[in-house]
Amino acid sequence: MYKNIFKYDDMKRAEHMAVRNTVGWYFWTHQLLEITGPDVTAFLEHMFAGNVSRLAVGRDRYTTMLDENGQIIDDVVIMRRSENVYWVSTLFATKTDDWWYFHQGDYDVEWTEVTDDWAMYAVQGPKSRALLEQLTKDPVADLKFFAQMETEIQGIPCLINRGGFTGEKLGYEIYVNPEHAEALEALLSPAAQALGGREVTEFQVMAWTLPTEAGFYYMRDLAHTNPFEVGLDKGIDWDKDFIGKSALEKIQAEGAAREMLGFEVPEADIYIQSKQYGGPGQAVILDGEEIGRVSKLVYSYVKETNIGYILAKKGVLKPGDHLKIHGYEAIITEKNWL
Amino acid sequence: MGQKIDERIPKNSGEGAGFSTFNAVQSPWNKLYSYQEALHYASRFESVLSAAATQALRIMVPDYAQRAQMMCEEAYARLYATGQLYGNDDGFGIHPFMCGQFAGALIGDKGDDALLMCGRCQDFGTYRAEKELDVCDWDICGSELCRTTTMSLQGQADASAERRRKGPTMDYLMVEAKGCGDRHCRIIAESREKYPAPPHALWESFGPAVTEDYKKYTEEEDCVSESMMFREECNYHFVNGTNNETDSSNQMVNMSTAASLYILPAIAEAVKREYVTQTQADHILKCVLEAAGKAMFGERYAIKACRDYLGVPDSVGEDGRILGGLIEILLQSLVCKYEVEAFNREEVVLVIDRTGLEITGTKNVPEAHLMMWQGMVKTLVNTQWSVWEEDSPARKMRVKIAKKIDKFM
Repeated sequence: MYKNIFKYDDMKRAEHMAVRNTVGWYFWTHQLLEITGPDVTAFLEHMFAGNVSRLAVGRDRYTTMLDENGQIIDDVVIMRRSENVYWVSTLFATKTDDWWYFHQGDYDVEWTEVTDDWAMYAVQGPKSRALLEQLTKDPVADLKFFAQMETEIQGIPCLINRGGFTGEKLGYEIYVNPEHAEALEALLSPAAQALGGREVTEFQVMAWTLPTEAGFYYMRDLAHTNPFEVGLDKGIDWDKDFIGKSALEKIQAEGAAREMLGFEVPEADIYIQSKQYGGPGQAVILDGEEIGRVSKLVYSYVKETNIGYILAKKGVLKPGDHLKIHGYEAIITEKNWL
Repeated sequence: MGQKIDERIPKNSGEGAGFSTFNAVQSPWNKLYSYQEALHYASRFESVLSAAATQALRIMVPDYAQRAQMMCEEAYARLYATGQLYGNDDGFGIHPFMCGQFAGALIGDKGDDALLMCGRCQDFGTYRAEKELDVCDWDICGSELCRTTTMSLQGQADASAERRRKGPTMDYLMVEAKGCGDRHCRIIAESREKYPAPPHALWESFGPAVTEDYKKYTEEEDCVSESMMFREECNYHFVNGTNNETDSSNQMVNMSTAASLYILPAIAEAVKREYVTQTQADHILKCVLEAAGKAMFGERYAIKACRDYLGVPDSVGEDGRILGGLIEILLQSLVCKYEVEAFNREEVVLVIDRTGLEITGTKNVPEAHLMMWQGMVKTLVNTQWSVWEEDSPARKMRVKIAKKIDKFM
């Protein structure tokens, strides 16, 4: 009755599976903030839960920005470009800007949004390295995960960052001046095709289907949660002070009230509301009690089933449990399908 | 039975009579209305006014297709232009990598919730978006308005797309409309590159959609009656899929109406296109709005209900204070400043800030209200009473409610 918007869509399937089987490339420009100044490292240590000072120049770190209640405002990738220059890749530049402004205090730092200065392309999948090695002036084979290198692609100056939002072991992000974007696309497209890959054009594949198979979060998934609830507590640096630390310590002592779980729905053509489109998400009812809400529901082209996340009361559900969500049979799973 | 949480009035609605957080509204007889109730009242009253104004437009431009086409063209051009001038991509949660016209759906989604047109986004992607509404206060205005709002969204989507990397073009269709009798309003936007369909005239925006099979229809039992910002299950916040998040604290001051956004500008367009003269347009609008006002209290029980709504004591008889009180409630609900110059059994004089009543900057909205009020007083009080503007200071509308004999009324 409710024809699955993912399963039967050949275009989405082809774009998704190109990344999983060969290589997919796509325009993936995020908002980018450049932060500089003598106190920049100390400032970022204060603003983010993860460690910043031990981040080597040329390396990246995924971390969270919290409010005083320990709730996640944003999850970002911090890129250390030089000793006192960092980039923060975010989708919340406006919010981040306000937050930093109110917490700058005596820190001698400056930040600038440089989003318009860079076009970023994701090249993801098992053949992504092979693709880049056809194009880059310098070899990328030794580039470690979450590490950057400056090189050229057919004369176009670029920054290559190894990382991505797909769960692929091999994946890169290419930063170029936007004036070179068209030229770069003209190179990426045939190179990918030659390897059996293609351009990914569908936002839902970039932001939802690929990352969800890997258990990643996108925007709304993390809203009004704390790191303990969503499994992002492992990267917290407890040896430093940061905004939200005291609240997190209390949560740690008392235990998180909720947890993010995976779930599958085998029936293909279903109607279950999820927070990814906005709103509260479908209520998850167990024995007459609401025990959670559906955060996300997409389709796994790898597993050929509907998959998603539920933010549920902690300890009520466990992998393997069966329950009905809006009348559809669902199975609780781990939150990773790769 | 499940423990579904029914919609509730926000815990902090009308918090304190000091109105520090949310505006509570107060009648002249000290009856307090919650922020939520005030917003609903204002929305529905303005929709009634808008519906009457639509009837006037129908008289001016009788042919449906001609009228709908004109409305759609006018709205598309205006919203496209304002979308170019006042783009707020960050504010709408439109990210740099989002290409093409689908990002326009984010603008519409947020606008719906702000206008109390609650429902849900059912799909949101580069090649297809779907939004389903359970409630639309504007549904009494007429199906040509449904077409027009769709084309205004198309205009905003087109403007938004121009600021972004080139992507698929999207055709915004309202395939179901409460204004046409459907249970829901349903906008489906489809990329014509991916889902080819014959081209259609701008005003022929009712579909059918190519992707009809994908649509998700919410059954009655799961429908909602309040916007996210008034639902406890949403923590009294509108939140879309890209984390654009707002509460209701600005809704009253940001209210727009069908009349201010679409109908009165369409009447101006009808004059511009010389379908009617300005004199004819003013005359028709006045006749229809006065009649609509009279119809509001044609039944005695409506008067009784109005007195009860306002908390009018029995000691107050048939006089202008009843309408004056009702107007005050509306003005407070719209966060429109006004002063009470007189409020007694002989007369009521309200000096209203025109800017506050020129909703969305449409200059003749205050006059449209005056026309409605003139009709309302005839049945809410009696025909000895009239409402007119007199001795207005600059940028104010001094409204007088008093007895008046006029042989040409």
